[in-house]
Amino acid sequence: MAARFLWASRAASHLRISVAQRGFASVVLKDLKYADSHEWVKIDGNKATFGITDHAQDHLGDVVYVELPDLGRSVSQGESFGAVESVKATSDINSPVSGKVVEVNEVLTESPGLVNTSPYEEGWIIKVELSDAGEVEKLMDSDKYSKFCEEEDAKH
Amino acid sequence: MRTPRTLEVWKLGTVNYLKSLKLQDKLVSERKANRIPDTLLSLQHPPTYTLGKRRTDHNLLIPEAELKSIGAELHYTQRGGDITFHGPHQAILYPILSLRSIGFGARSYVEALERSMIEFSSLYGVKARAGNKCETGVWVGDRKIGAIGVRISSGITCHGLAFNIDPDMKYFEHIVPCGIADKEVTSLRRETDAQLPSEEVIHEQLVTCLAKVFSYDDVVVKEDPSAILNTLEDDD
Repeated sequence: MAARFLWASRAASHLRISVAQRGFASVVLKDLKYADSHEWVKIDGNKATFGITDHAQDHLGDVVYVELPDLGRSVSQGESFGAVESVKATSDINSPVSGKVVEVNEVLTESPGLVNTSPYEEGWIIKVELSDAGEVEKLMDSDKYSKFCEEEDAKH
Repeated sequence: MRTPRTLEVWKLGTVNYLKSLKLQDKLVSERKANRIPDTLLSLQHPPTYTLGKRRTDHNLLIPEAELKSIGAELHYTQRGGDITFHGPHQAILYPILSLRSIGFGARSYVEALERSMIEFSSLYGVKARAGNKCETGVWVGDRKIGAIGVRISSGITCHGLAFNIDPDMKYFEHIVPCGIADKEVTSLRRETDAQLPSEEVIHEQLVTCLAKVFSYDDVVVKEDPSAILNTLEDDD
């Protein structure tokens, strides 16, 4: 837990973080976009990389398995494309944007825990070729997402 | 002021596994569309082995072909967790809940399922505990009394928990239960000398414990299983 806090503090000192009312804040990166199902997306021209957020991995527990889609498969905004397993629970991962899968992070098959320890970097899940760049408008920016996480956590 | 939360409970008796999967699929869609409130299925299965998404069938110790001869079925599912056995005298609860409405994530949900079974065990003086890391479930000492395997899609849960009241333990000999080789499986019958009430009462108590742990304000019990089971016939 201490090591993770150090990592988060280092990341947070370069970026804006959300400060939740209680305890440890989840890390939210400024230059990414976010879906309300807690996936992040990084746009690079017509390619997008996605994964799940720090908030998501914290609420999941230790990830022991990642189900990756096949290359070339189509994904649609808001639809499931894979799953992670943690604490005997499989949770679907939804695609934040539509497109075609051009790369998957095979490393996750051997090291699923990267989703927990490095959700925005080594724990990336897939890369797609965007089919509709306009869809990104429907996603949240870092400020909106931080607020969204706070509101969700307040319900518990 | 928080809106009062209702849990609708269906008491289904013994249900074939595939039928229960079809029913859950239907209820998950309904819950996702907000056409039904949080729903709980309370049931048992005939002898059935099930596998999770990781398909760990190396933990089935007899050939699949032999399962029929011992009166059991095998099913592959999308839930988390390893291989397990379901059968008569094992109480099963399948909560179909919207985790977002109650502000739970996967980890806190599973911990609440564990707490429900621990509360229930304490009614009979059985001191159960949650599993250690990688051993999700409910244990009495080193013996597993309750198993968990869950699926969450778009924030709606299905599958759930299985608590051993007094199942035929011989069925567990044909698997490495939950993939954990060196631990025993146990049951409420084995862990207490207390007089056990009827299974119907036991199921009700387990449901009450879950409703309490999840802080439901209202529990509405639906006694007529044909109301939802029969609607599945039309889809066959």
